[in-house]
Amino acid sequence: MDNINVLIIEDTKAQSDALSKVLNANNYNIVGVATSYKDALDFFYNNKVDIVIIDIFLNGNPDGITFAETINVVPDASRPFVFLTSSTDRKIFERAKLTQPFSFLMKPFNELEILYAIEMAVEKFYAQNDVFLSDEEDTVISKDYLFIKKGKSLKKVLLNDIIYIEVEEKYCNIITEKEKFVILISLTKILDLLDNAIFCRTHRNFIVNTEKIIEIIPGDNLILLSGGHKATLSDTYKTIIKKIRTLR
Amino acid sequence: MNININVLFHILFLNIPTLFFSQNKEELSILNSEIKNKSDKFITNKSFHKAQHFFLSKNWDSTLVHSMKQLSITKNEELKNYCHYFRGHSFNEKKLFKEAQQEFASISKNFYFYYNTRLFLGTIAIEKNEFQQAIQYFKDVEEINTPNIFGVKKSNIEHNLGICYLHLKKYDKAETFLLKSVKKQENEKDTLILIGAYGNIATLYYDQYKDDLAIPYFQKAYKLAKKTTDFDIKRRTAKNMAVVEENRKNYKSSIAYRKEFEKWKDSLNDQNKVWEVAKLEKEFAVQQKQKEVTVLEAENKLKVAERNKLFYSAIGLLVLLASGGYFYREKIKTNKIIVAQKGVLDELNATKDKLFSIVSHDLRSSVNALKTSNSKLQESLETKNFTELDTQLNNNSAITNGAYNLLDNLLHWALLQTQQGYFEITSMRLFIIVEHVAYNYKPLLLDKNISLENTVAKKDLIDADQESLKIILRNLLDNSIKFSNKNGSIKVYSRNTNDTFCELVIEDTGLGMTESTRLELLKDTALLSKKENEDIIGTGLGMQLVKQMIQKNKGKFNIESELGKGTKMIVSLPKTAG
Repeated sequence: MDNINVLIIEDTKAQSDALSKVLNANNYNIVGVATSYKDALDFFYNNKVDIVIIDIFLNGNPDGITFAETINVVPDASRPFVFLTSSTDRKIFERAKLTQPFSFLMKPFNELEILYAIEMAVEKFYAQNDVFLSDEEDTVISKDYLFIKKGKSLKKVLLNDIIYIEVEEKYCNIITEKEKFVILISLTKILDLLDNAIFCRTHRNFIVNTEKIIEIIPGDNLILLSGGHKATLSDTYKTIIKKIRTLR
Repeated sequence: MNININVLFHILFLNIPTLFFSQNKEELSILNSEIKNKSDKFITNKSFHKAQHFFLSKNWDSTLVHSMKQLSITKNEELKNYCHYFRGHSFNEKKLFKEAQQEFASISKNFYFYYNTRLFLGTIAIEKNEFQQAIQYFKDVEEINTPNIFGVKKSNIEHNLGICYLHLKKYDKAETFLLKSVKKQENEKDTLILIGAYGNIATLYYDQYKDDLAIPYFQKAYKLAKKTTDFDIKRRTAKNMAVVEENRKNYKSSIAYRKEFEKWKDSLNDQNKVWEVAKLEKEFAVQQKQKEVTVLEAENKLKVAERNKLFYSAIGLLVLLASGGYFYREKIKTNKIIVAQKGVLDELNATKDKLFSIVSHDLRSSVNALKTSNSKLQESLETKNFTELDTQLNNNSAITNGAYNLLDNLLHWALLQTQQGYFEITSMRLFIIVEHVAYNYKPLLLDKNISLENTVAKKDLIDADQESLKIILRNLLDNSIKFSNKNGSIKVYSRNTNDTFCELVIEDTGLGMTESTRLELLKDTALLSKKENEDIIGTGLGMQLVKQMIQKNKGKFNIESELGKGTKMIVSLPKTAG
């Protein structure tokens, strides 16, 4: 499980320091603090950024909105972002609102509010609303990562690191090379959101990363995975053999 | 003798028109209808049809033209006869006797109305004084006892024959015919003809100097004439009597008759004059009437025009009056509204002024407190009294917190008034918002040792604008803390008693309030400016803002409170549908 990389765009040092402090305390990783539009773009394209926190007004201009508009031009490269503002000016809001998905936070804000705003931005950006606040789920799935709520903060797991997923009622056991943890998500949802070219169901309770398969032993209904992990292969899902190039 | 001839002349003139008269009026119509019936079989010939039509309507010239046309194209003898008959009749009517004679003569003997043509020829002969010829024509008709002589009485024919013989001085023959005709005419009781006939017989005898026979007939004629109203006949018979009496040397009665004759002559003239005058008068009267009528018509037109003018002007006035009244009423209405608005505005302005004075007063005291506190801080720093420093800093932060809240409320209130603030209603979890707001009050709660419990259900979703909801909660929590005693407790929870609204209750165990204060707080516009408690009660701006924000979020607000026990602030917000 990795910390989430946050880019802060804020021209007032006192405020960016306070924000960094709060985020660091909640296990977020600050990749940089940009104070201008140009800096922000440099940071954004040269670092692996998961979330951007943007102050709308940079040096008196609403460059924060311009930044959001710029990164939104390339949909794949775009990231979830949160607007910070002390202004309630309607025109600015109307313009900011056009940078969908729109989430904002009024200054001054407290710790809870900024953490909530980040969670909301992630939910909205990946179009999986009402995940982190509900009791039923705690994971948002993007193309590359699982975003998991751990305590007050968010964590991420690279999908490629997952070896297999074992489903246990409402829970899913995620097994990676290094660790093993439980997330709250429904089976149907996880199947729906994962790339089914890579993640295949092999059993009622097993989803396997096909890239991590070492050997399939159909006779024993067994799949051997990297790191010495084993998964069960049931008759229902034996078609998986055809899908995977295997050495016999 | 000279006078005698004169008398004869008169009587002859009296007679012949009588004959024509009878043929023209009463019996010619019979004749004509008979002609029409008999000739109808030829009306398929266009020209004949026209000729017949014009003949019957007595348009003689057109009859001549169309009958000529028909004659030139037809070879049917009977049709030709009719044409000749029409032409003869027309010429006769136009007194062109020679042409009439020719036309009648061309009619063949087998013509249905042959004897009528003979009679026409006879009368024409009399007109031309060809008496011998006339006798010939009449004799032809008289001898044949045929009923086909339409419109002519036998007596008339005998009469005419008598006259002819009279003219030819064949008295014996004349006497027989005249007497024959008189006998018949006496039976027919045609007074006018009878008078003429008596006159003729008398003349007959008088001519032969048979005065004894003549005089009774003259007298008979005279007596009969007296009964008629015809002045001309009366005049002639009187004149005849006068001549007779004169010849008898009976001058006295002659003069009497002469006088009568003059009288009738005069009255005839008079009558003519009277008729003329009457006619003139009538014409004049008609003209006068006409004039009156035109004048009246003109007057009527004028009256109608005037009436219309009056009518339209009345309508115009009415419309003007109505619109005037309408606009006047509208003006009064708008004036009333304006006055009412002015009242409200004045009130609002006064409240605003008061608000400003209170806010500035509060701010000034806050800043002043900070000032004095700061100098104390410096003092403590110099003396390095750190415990004192700590409490003073805490005190300072409390002051700044209060001042900040006041300013924040002021800002939002101003934004709300000018409609400049951003406002977007979205669905959200009430629990999270309460958590966020309460988080800011943790130090304050800790300071007063008040416990705060947020037991709002996590699944409660409401529709509201996030920022304004935070302002509402901030103010309500602020109040609850402010009015709570130390070691008190505040509970925030939701009540789901309604399908469309979610009730959020903020309950404290603080001071509570009186009923009058509660009602005062719930009032729409009133700002609580009375400072009952210098330390605790603020401007009322916060409550004002809460009420307005709730209203803007389409929510409801209520307060339940008991003095000394605590207060429940209840905010009802619309639930997210579905």
